[in-house]
Amino acid sequence: MRLSALLALASKVTLPRDYRYGMSRPGSLADRRKNPPGTRRRRVAVEPISDEEWHLFCGDTVEVLKGKDAGKQGKVVQVIRQRNWVVLEGLNTHYRYVGKTEEYRGTMIPSEAPLLHNQVKLVDPVDRKPTEVEWRFTEAGERVRVSSRSGRIIPKPDFPRADGIVPETWTDGPKDTSVEDALERTYVPCLKTLEEEVMEAMGIQETRRHKKVYWY
Amino acid sequence: MAAAGFGVLCRKVLIGLKVSRSLLNPKALASTGLLHTTLSTKGLEEFFDDPKNWGEEKVKSGASWTCQQLRNKSNEDLHKLWYVLLKERNMLLTLEQEAKRQSLPMPSPERLEKVIDSMDALDKVVQEREDALRLLQTGQEKARPGAWRRDIFGRIIWHKFKQWPIPWYLNKRYNRKRFFAMPYVERFVRLRLEKRARTEARKKSLEKKKEKFLQKKFPHLSEAQKSSLI
Repeated sequence: MRLSALLALASKVTLPRDYRYGMSRPGSLADRRKNPPGTRRRRVAVEPISDEEWHLFCGDTVEVLKGKDAGKQGKVVQVIRQRNWVVLEGLNTHYRYVGKTEEYRGTMIPSEAPLLHNQVKLVDPVDRKPTEVEWRFTEAGERVRVSSRSGRIIPKPDFPRADGIVPETWTDGPKDTSVEDALERTYVPCLKTLEEEVMEAMGIQETRRHKKVYWY
Repeated sequence: MAAAGFGVLCRKVLIGLKVSRSLLNPKALASTGLLHTTLSTKGLEEFFDDPKNWGEEKVKSGASWTCQQLRNKSNEDLHKLWYVLLKERNMLLTLEQEAKRQSLPMPSPERLEKVIDSMDALDKVVQEREDALRLLQTGQEKARPGAWRRDIFGRIIWHKFKQWPIPWYLNKRYNRKRFFAMPYVERFVRLRLEKRARTEARKKSLEKKKEKFLQKKFPHLSEAQKSSLI
Protein backbone atom coordinates (compact mmCIF):
# COMPACT_ATOMS: atom_id res chain seq x y z
CA MET A 1 0.00 0.00 0.00
CA ARG A 2 1.25 3.52 -0.71
CA LEU A 3 2.80 5.19 2.34
CA SER A 4 0.69 8.32 1.86
CA ALA A 5 -2.50 6.24 1.82
CA LEU A 6 -1.41 4.41 4.97
CA LEU A 7 -0.71 7.70 6.81
CA ALA A 8 -4.05 9.08 5.66
CA LEU A 9 -5.82 6.05 7.09
CA ALA A 10 -4.08 6.56 10.43
CA SER A 11 -5.10 10.23 10.72
CA LYS A 12 -8.71 9.80 9.50
CA VAL A 13 -11.31 9.87 12.28
CA THR A 14 -13.17 6.55 12.33
CA LEU A 15 -16.54 6.66 14.08
CA PRO A 16 -18.17 3.56 15.58
CA ARG A 17 -20.95 1.89 13.56
CA ASP A 18 -23.74 2.97 15.98
CA TYR A 19 -22.35 6.46 16.54
CA ARG A 20 -25.07 8.93 17.51
CA TYR A 21 -24.48 12.36 15.99
CA GLY A 22 -24.97 15.24 18.42
CA MET A 23 -24.52 18.99 18.38
CA SER A 24 -20.73 18.68 18.82
CA ARG A 25 -18.50 18.00 15.82
CA PRO A 26 -17.39 14.33 15.77
CA GLY A 27 -13.75 14.10 16.86
CA SER A 28 -13.77 17.34 18.87
CA LEU A 29 -12.87 17.46 22.59
CA ALA A 30 -16.51 17.86 23.67
CA ASP A 31 -17.59 14.92 21.57
CA ARG A 32 -14.73 12.72 22.82
CA ARG A 33 -15.70 13.64 26.39
CA LYS A 34 -19.35 12.78 25.84
CA ASN A 35 -18.74 9.63 23.74
CA PRO A 36 -15.54 7.98 24.96
CA PRO A 37 -14.51 4.85 23.04
CA GLY A 38 -16.84 2.00 23.95
CA THR A 39 -19.97 4.15 24.33
CA ARG A 40 -23.07 2.42 23.00
CA ARG A 41 -26.21 4.50 23.00
CA ARG A 42 -29.70 3.51 21.95
CA ARG A 43 -30.09 3.91 18.20
CA VAL A 44 -32.25 6.79 16.99
CA ALA A 45 -34.46 6.40 13.93
CA VAL A 46 -33.51 8.92 11.26
CA GLU A 47 -35.74 9.24 8.23
CA PRO A 48 -33.64 8.53 5.13
CA ILE A 49 -33.81 11.67 2.97
CA SER A 50 -31.68 11.67 -0.18
CA ASP A 51 -29.41 14.62 -1.00
CA GLU A 52 -31.68 15.54 -3.92
CA GLU A 53 -34.81 15.74 -1.74
CA TRP A 54 -33.27 17.80 1.09
CA HIS A 55 -34.39 21.43 0.80
CA LEU A 56 -33.05 23.26 3.88
CA PHE A 57 -29.75 25.14 3.60
CA CYS A 58 -27.71 27.41 5.84
CA GLY A 59 -28.92 30.99 5.62
CA ASP A 60 -32.54 30.12 4.71
CA THR A 61 -35.39 31.85 6.52
CA VAL A 62 -37.70 29.25 8.00
CA GLU A 63 -40.69 29.31 10.32
CA VAL A 64 -41.00 27.05 13.35
CA LEU A 65 -44.20 25.00 13.41
CA LYS A 66 -43.92 23.18 16.73
CA GLY A 67 -42.08 23.77 19.97
CA LYS A 68 -41.47 26.65 22.30
CA ASP A 69 -41.00 29.25 19.55
CA ALA A 70 -43.83 28.06 17.29
CA GLY A 71 -44.81 30.67 14.75
CA LYS A 72 -41.50 32.54 14.82
CA GLN A 73 -39.23 32.93 11.80
CA GLY A 74 -35.47 32.55 11.98
CA LYS A 75 -32.34 32.00 9.93
CA VAL A 76 -30.77 28.57 9.64
CA VAL A 77 -27.25 28.60 11.05
CA GLN A 78 -26.31 24.91 10.99
CA VAL A 79 -27.62 21.82 9.23
CA ILE A 80 -26.80 18.36 10.62
CA ARG A 81 -27.79 15.96 7.84
CA GLN A 82 -27.07 12.78 9.78
CA ARG A 83 -29.98 13.53 12.16
CA ASN A 84 -32.06 15.68 9.75
CA TRP A 85 -31.51 18.58 12.15
CA VAL A 86 -31.67 22.31 11.57
CA VAL A 87 -30.34 24.86 14.07
CA LEU A 88 -31.95 28.30 13.98
CA GLU A 89 -30.32 31.46 15.26
CA GLY A 90 -31.70 32.48 18.65
CA LEU A 91 -34.79 30.27 18.47
CA ASN A 92 -35.75 27.19 20.47
CA THR A 93 -33.19 28.12 23.13
CA HIS A 94 -32.52 26.75 26.57
CA TYR A 95 -30.12 28.42 28.99
CA ARG A 96 -26.78 27.18 30.24
CA TYR A 97 -23.79 28.51 32.16
CA VAL A 98 -20.46 29.03 30.43
CA GLY A 99 -17.03 29.62 31.95
CA LYS A 100 -17.92 28.15 35.34
CA THR A 101 -15.09 27.93 37.88
CA GLU A 102 -15.04 26.71 41.45
CA GLU A 103 -16.04 30.09 42.92
CA TYR A 104 -17.78 31.77 39.98
CA ARG A 105 -21.15 30.46 38.81
CA GLY A 106 -20.41 31.38 35.17
CA THR A 107 -22.25 33.44 32.55
CA MET A 108 -25.74 32.36 31.52
CA ILE A 109 -26.13 32.18 27.76
CA PRO A 110 -29.02 31.02 25.57
CA SER A 111 -28.04 27.94 23.54
CA GLU A 112 -30.14 26.83 20.56
CA ALA A 113 -31.54 23.32 20.42
CA PRO A 114 -31.91 21.65 17.02
CA LEU A 115 -35.22 21.19 15.25
CA LEU A 116 -36.17 18.35 12.92
CA HIS A 117 -36.80 19.08 9.26
CA ASN A 118 -40.56 18.45 9.63
CA GLN A 119 -40.82 20.89 12.54
CA VAL A 120 -39.81 23.83 10.32
CA LYS A 121 -41.06 25.12 6.98
CA LEU A 122 -39.41 27.31 4.39
CA VAL A 123 -40.80 30.81 4.12
CA ASP A 124 -42.00 32.22 0.80
CA PRO A 125 -39.82 35.29 0.09
CA VAL A 126 -42.71 37.54 -1.00
CA ASP A 127 -45.59 36.32 1.22
CA ARG A 128 -43.39 35.72 4.22
CA LYS A 129 -45.63 32.78 5.08
CA PRO A 130 -44.57 29.12 5.47
CA THR A 131 -44.95 26.95 2.34
CA GLU A 132 -44.30 23.42 1.14
CA VAL A 133 -41.40 23.29 -1.30
CA GLU A 134 -40.72 21.15 -4.38
CA TRP A 135 -37.61 20.79 -6.50
CA ARG A 136 -38.28 21.78 -10.09
CA PHE A 137 -36.27 22.72 -13.15
CA THR A 138 -36.29 26.20 -14.69
CA GLU A 139 -36.33 26.72 -18.45
CA ALA A 140 -32.58 27.31 -18.27
CA GLY A 141 -32.21 23.79 -16.82
CA GLU A 142 -31.33 24.92 -13.30
CA ARG A 143 -32.72 22.90 -10.38
CA VAL A 144 -34.51 25.27 -7.98
CA ARG A 145 -36.85 25.15 -5.00
CA VAL A 146 -40.36 26.24 -5.89
CA SER A 147 -43.06 26.91 -3.31
CA SER A 148 -46.04 24.71 -4.18
CA ARG A 149 -48.61 27.28 -2.99
CA SER A 150 -47.57 30.34 -4.98
CA GLY A 151 -45.14 28.92 -7.52
CA ARG A 152 -42.40 31.39 -6.63
CA ILE A 153 -38.76 30.37 -6.76
CA ILE A 154 -36.92 30.37 -3.44
CA PRO A 155 -33.29 31.20 -4.26
CA LYS A 156 -30.39 29.43 -2.55
CA PRO A 157 -29.22 31.78 0.24
CA ASP A 158 -25.76 33.29 0.63
CA PHE A 159 -23.90 31.96 3.59
CA PRO A 160 -20.29 32.80 4.48
CA ARG A 161 -17.91 29.94 3.67
CA ALA A 162 -16.56 27.82 6.51
CA ASP A 163 -12.93 28.63 5.58
CA GLY A 164 -13.62 32.39 5.82
CA ILE A 165 -12.88 33.12 2.14
CA VAL A 166 -14.97 35.89 0.57
CA PRO A 167 -14.76 35.29 -3.21
CA GLU A 168 -15.38 38.98 -4.07
CA THR A 169 -12.41 40.28 -2.08
CA TRP A 170 -9.96 37.50 -2.96
CA THR A 171 -6.41 38.32 -4.09
CA ASP A 172 -3.93 35.71 -5.20
CA GLY A 173 -1.07 34.85 -2.90
CA PRO A 174 2.52 34.33 -4.19
CA LYS A 175 1.94 30.57 -4.55
CA ASP A 176 -1.50 30.77 -6.21
CA THR A 177 -2.03 30.47 -9.96
CA SER A 178 -3.96 33.26 -11.59
CA VAL A 179 -7.39 32.44 -13.00
CA GLU A 180 -6.29 32.78 -16.66
CA ASP A 181 -3.29 30.50 -16.16
CA ALA A 182 -5.38 27.89 -14.37
CA LEU A 183 -8.14 27.82 -16.98
CA GLU A 184 -5.80 28.06 -19.99
CA ARG A 185 -6.01 24.96 -22.16
CA THR A 186 -2.60 23.66 -23.17
CA TYR A 187 -3.57 20.04 -23.83
CA VAL A 188 -3.14 18.81 -27.38
CA PRO A 189 -4.24 15.17 -27.61
CA CYS A 190 -1.73 12.92 -29.31
CA LEU A 191 -0.76 9.26 -29.26
CA LYS A 192 2.18 9.67 -26.90
CA THR A 193 2.56 8.75 -23.24
CA LEU A 194 3.46 11.45 -20.72
CA GLU A 195 6.97 9.99 -20.45
CA GLU A 196 7.59 10.15 -24.21
CA GLU A 197 6.33 13.73 -24.50
CA VAL A 198 8.39 14.94 -21.55
CA MET A 199 11.51 13.21 -22.89
CA GLU A 200 11.04 14.89 -26.26
CA ALA A 201 10.49 18.27 -24.65
CA MET A 202 13.58 17.93 -22.43
CA GLY A 203 15.72 16.42 -25.22
CA ILE A 204 16.44 13.20 -23.32
CA GLN A 205 17.68 10.35 -25.55
CA GLU A 206 17.11 6.88 -24.18
CA THR A 207 20.10 4.86 -25.36
CA ARG A 208 19.72 1.98 -22.86
CA ARG A 209 18.28 -1.19 -24.34
CA HIS A 210 15.52 -2.98 -22.47
CA LYS A 211 16.66 -6.40 -21.25
CA LYS A 212 14.17 -9.26 -21.61
CA VAL A 213 12.15 -9.72 -18.40
CA TYR A 214 9.75 -12.51 -17.65
CA TRP A 215 6.31 -11.71 -16.27
CA TYR A 216 4.69 -14.40 -14.08
CA MET B 1 -22.61 35.66 -8.88
CA ALA B 2 -21.75 32.01 -8.66
CA ALA B 3 -19.72 32.27 -11.90
CA ALA B 4 -17.78 35.28 -10.65
CA GLY B 5 -17.15 33.50 -7.37
CA PHE B 6 -15.77 30.47 -9.20
CA GLY B 7 -13.64 32.63 -11.45
CA VAL B 8 -11.95 34.41 -8.58
CA LEU B 9 -11.01 31.29 -6.61
CA CYS B 10 -7.41 30.36 -7.32
CA ARG B 11 -5.09 27.39 -7.27
CA LYS B 12 -1.78 26.46 -5.72
CA VAL B 13 1.02 26.74 -8.26
CA LEU B 14 4.02 29.08 -8.60
CA ILE B 15 3.10 31.72 -11.15
CA GLY B 16 3.53 30.83 -14.83
CA LEU B 17 4.94 27.45 -13.85
CA LYS B 18 8.42 28.94 -13.69
CA VAL B 19 10.28 28.23 -10.49
CA SER B 20 11.19 31.67 -9.18
CA ARG B 21 14.11 31.52 -6.81
CA SER B 22 14.26 35.25 -6.09
CA LEU B 23 12.20 34.90 -2.90
CA LEU B 24 14.51 32.21 -1.59
CA ASN B 25 17.82 33.93 -2.42
CA PRO B 26 20.32 33.09 0.31
CA LYS B 27 21.64 36.67 0.15
CA ALA B 28 18.18 38.09 0.90
CA LEU B 29 17.78 35.65 3.78
CA ALA B 30 21.24 36.45 5.13
CA SER B 31 20.46 40.18 5.26
CA THR B 32 17.54 39.48 7.59
CA GLY B 33 19.97 37.74 9.94
CA LEU B 34 18.00 34.49 9.84
CA LEU B 35 20.51 32.41 7.94
CA HIS B 36 24.21 31.59 8.25
CA THR B 37 26.24 33.04 5.42
CA THR B 38 29.08 30.54 5.87
CA LEU B 39 27.05 27.43 4.92
CA SER B 40 25.12 27.33 1.69
CA THR B 41 21.83 25.54 2.16
CA LYS B 42 22.07 23.95 -1.30
CA GLY B 43 18.33 24.03 -1.90
CA LEU B 44 17.33 23.00 1.63
CA GLU B 45 15.53 26.33 1.89
CA GLU B 46 12.80 24.75 -0.25
CA PHE B 47 11.87 22.59 2.73
CA PHE B 48 10.78 25.74 4.52
CA ASP B 49 8.13 28.33 3.83
CA ASP B 50 8.76 31.92 2.76
CA PRO B 51 10.48 33.58 5.76
CA LYS B 52 7.71 36.18 5.84
CA ASN B 53 5.32 33.40 6.94
CA TRP B 54 7.52 32.16 9.76
CA GLY B 55 5.68 32.52 13.07
CA GLU B 56 2.34 33.38 11.46
CA GLU B 57 -0.83 31.85 12.90
CA LYS B 58 -2.64 31.59 9.57
CA VAL B 59 -1.38 31.48 6.01
CA LYS B 60 -3.77 32.23 3.15
CA SER B 61 -4.08 29.62 0.42
CA GLY B 62 -6.31 29.09 -2.59
CA ALA B 63 -8.41 26.09 -3.57
CA SER B 64 -6.94 22.79 -4.80
CA TRP B 65 -6.68 21.83 -8.47
CA THR B 66 -9.76 19.98 -9.72
CA CYS B 67 -9.68 17.04 -12.15
CA GLN B 68 -11.41 19.04 -14.88
CA GLN B 69 -8.86 21.88 -14.72
CA LEU B 70 -5.98 19.39 -14.88
CA ARG B 71 -7.47 17.60 -17.87
CA ASN B 72 -7.00 20.80 -19.88
CA LYS B 73 -3.26 20.89 -19.23
CA SER B 74 -0.57 19.39 -21.45
CA ASN B 75 1.66 16.55 -20.25
CA GLU B 76 4.67 18.85 -19.79
CA ASP B 77 2.61 21.20 -17.63
CA LEU B 78 1.38 18.28 -15.52
CA HIS B 79 4.95 17.00 -15.15
CA LYS B 80 6.17 20.38 -13.90
CA LEU B 81 3.11 20.84 -11.67
CA TRP B 82 3.71 17.48 -10.01
CA TYR B 83 7.16 18.51 -8.81
CA VAL B 84 5.97 21.93 -7.67
CA LEU B 85 3.22 20.26 -5.63
CA LEU B 86 5.67 17.67 -4.32
CA LYS B 87 8.03 20.32 -3.00
CA GLU B 88 5.12 22.19 -1.40
CA ARG B 89 3.94 18.95 0.18
CA ASN B 90 7.40 18.24 1.58
CA MET B 91 7.56 21.76 3.00
CA LEU B 92 4.16 21.38 4.68
CA LEU B 93 5.05 17.96 6.08
CA THR B 94 8.29 19.39 7.53
CA LEU B 95 6.25 22.20 9.07
CA GLU B 96 3.74 19.72 10.50
CA GLN B 97 6.48 17.59 12.03
CA GLU B 98 8.25 20.61 13.49
CA ALA B 99 4.96 21.89 14.99
CA LYS B 100 4.40 18.47 16.59
CA ARG B 101 7.96 18.48 17.94
CA GLN B 102 7.43 21.89 19.53
CA SER B 103 3.86 21.02 20.67
CA LEU B 104 2.41 23.97 18.77
CA PRO B 105 -0.56 24.05 16.36
CA MET B 106 0.41 23.92 12.70
CA PRO B 107 -0.54 27.16 10.89
CA SER B 108 -3.27 26.46 8.32
CA PRO B 109 -3.20 22.63 8.08
CA GLU B 110 -5.83 22.74 5.30
CA ARG B 111 -2.99 23.66 2.89
CA LEU B 112 -1.62 20.12 3.19
CA GLU B 113 -5.05 18.58 2.45
CA LYS B 114 -5.41 20.80 -0.60
CA VAL B 115 -1.97 19.82 -1.93
CA ILE B 116 -2.67 16.12 -1.35
CA ASP B 117 -6.03 16.44 -3.14
CA SER B 118 -4.36 18.23 -6.06
CA MET B 119 -1.69 15.53 -6.35
CA ASP B 120 -4.28 12.75 -6.23
CA ALA B 121 -6.31 14.49 -8.93
CA LEU B 122 -3.17 14.85 -11.08
CA ASP B 123 -2.35 11.15 -10.64
CA LYS B 124 -5.92 10.26 -11.60
CA VAL B 125 -5.78 12.39 -14.77
CA VAL B 126 -2.42 10.91 -15.83
CA GLN B 127 -3.74 7.39 -15.22
CA GLU B 128 -6.84 8.17 -17.30
CA ARG B 129 -4.66 9.32 -20.22
CA GLU B 130 -2.45 6.24 -19.95
CA ASP B 131 -5.48 3.93 -19.79
CA ALA B 132 -7.02 5.57 -22.86
CA LEU B 133 -3.79 5.24 -24.87
CA ARG B 134 -3.25 1.64 -23.82
CA LEU B 135 -6.84 0.65 -24.66
CA LEU B 136 -6.54 2.28 -28.08
CA GLN B 137 -3.18 0.79 -28.97
CA THR B 138 -3.35 -2.66 -27.39
CA GLY B 139 -6.87 -3.23 -26.06
CA GLN B 140 -5.46 -4.24 -22.64
CA GLU B 141 -7.68 -3.09 -19.77
CA LYS B 142 -5.08 -3.48 -17.03
CA ALA B 143 -1.65 -1.86 -16.97
CA ARG B 144 -0.06 -4.73 -15.01
CA PRO B 145 -0.47 -8.29 -16.34
CA GLY B 146 -2.01 -10.96 -14.15
CA ALA B 147 -4.16 -14.08 -14.17
CA TRP B 148 -6.96 -15.77 -12.25
CA ARG B 149 -5.44 -18.68 -10.34
CA ARG B 150 -6.40 -21.02 -7.53
CA ASP B 151 -4.10 -20.71 -4.51
CA ILE B 152 -3.30 -23.55 -2.07
CA PHE B 153 -6.30 -22.56 0.07
CA GLY B 154 -8.65 -23.28 -2.82
CA ARG B 155 -9.52 -19.61 -3.36
CA ILE B 156 -9.65 -18.11 -6.86
CA ILE B 157 -7.45 -15.04 -6.71
CA TRP B 158 -6.12 -12.45 -9.17
CA HIS B 159 -2.41 -13.18 -9.17
CA LYS B 160 -0.49 -10.05 -10.23
CA PHE B 161 2.58 -10.85 -12.27
CA LYS B 162 6.04 -9.81 -11.14
CA GLN B 163 9.10 -9.11 -13.24
CA TRP B 164 11.78 -11.78 -13.04
CA PRO B 165 15.14 -12.11 -14.84
CA ILE B 166 14.74 -15.89 -15.35
CA PRO B 167 11.89 -18.00 -16.76
CA TRP B 168 9.41 -19.67 -14.36
CA TYR B 169 10.74 -23.22 -14.77
CA LEU B 170 14.20 -22.15 -13.53
CA ASN B 171 12.89 -20.07 -10.62
CA LYS B 172 13.23 -22.01 -7.35
CA ARG B 173 11.38 -19.46 -5.21
CA TYR B 174 8.47 -19.20 -7.63
CA ASN B 175 8.10 -22.96 -7.90
CA ARG B 176 7.73 -23.24 -4.12
CA LYS B 177 4.44 -21.28 -4.50
CA ARG B 178 1.66 -23.71 -5.30
CA PHE B 179 -1.15 -22.56 -7.58
CA PHE B 180 -3.23 -25.67 -7.06
CA ALA B 181 -5.25 -27.12 -4.16
CA MET B 182 -5.01 -30.68 -2.86
CA PRO B 183 -8.20 -32.78 -2.42
CA TYR B 184 -8.33 -32.32 1.38
CA VAL B 185 -8.91 -28.60 0.81
CA GLU B 186 -12.33 -29.21 -0.81
CA ARG B 187 -13.95 -29.59 2.62
CA PHE B 188 -12.70 -26.15 3.68
CA VAL B 189 -13.82 -24.59 0.41
CA ARG B 190 -17.32 -25.89 1.16
CA LEU B 191 -17.17 -24.52 4.73
CA ARG B 192 -16.06 -21.14 3.41
CA LEU B 193 -18.95 -21.14 0.95
CA GLU B 194 -21.39 -21.91 3.75
CA LYS B 195 -19.93 -19.11 5.89
CA ARG B 196 -20.24 -16.65 3.03
CA ALA B 197 -23.83 -17.71 2.36
CA ARG B 198 -24.62 -17.29 6.05
CA THR B 199 -23.16 -13.76 6.27
CA GLU B 200 -24.99 -12.69 3.10
CA ALA B 201 -28.27 -14.08 4.36
CA ARG B 202 -27.74 -12.30 7.67
CA LYS B 203 -27.00 -9.00 5.88
CA LYS B 204 -30.15 -9.35 3.76
CA SER B 205 -32.36 -10.11 6.73
CA LEU B 206 -30.84 -7.15 8.61
CA GLU B 207 -31.67 -4.88 5.68
CA LYS B 208 -35.25 -6.19 5.65
CA LYS B 209 -35.56 -5.68 9.41
CA LYS B 210 -34.25 -2.09 9.11
CA GLU B 211 -36.63 -1.39 6.25
CA LYS B 212 -39.58 -2.71 8.28
CA PHE B 213 -38.54 -0.63 11.29
CA LEU B 214 -38.31 2.54 9.20
CA GLN B 215 -41.70 1.84 7.65
CA LYS B 216 -43.22 1.52 11.11
CA LYS B 217 -41.61 4.75 12.34
CA PHE B 218 -42.19 6.80 9.19
CA PRO B 219 -45.39 5.48 7.54
CA HIS B 220 -45.30 8.11 4.78
CA LEU B 221 -42.07 6.61 3.37
CA SER B 222 -43.90 3.83 1.51
CA GLU B 223 -46.22 6.34 -0.24
CA ALA B 224 -43.22 8.49 -1.20
CA GLN B 225 -41.43 5.44 -2.62
CA LYS B 226 -44.50 4.36 -4.60
CA SER B 227 -44.98 7.85 -6.05
CA SER B 228 -41.29 8.10 -6.97
CA LEU B 229 -41.40 4.68 -8.69
CA ILE B 230 -44.43 5.80 -10.75
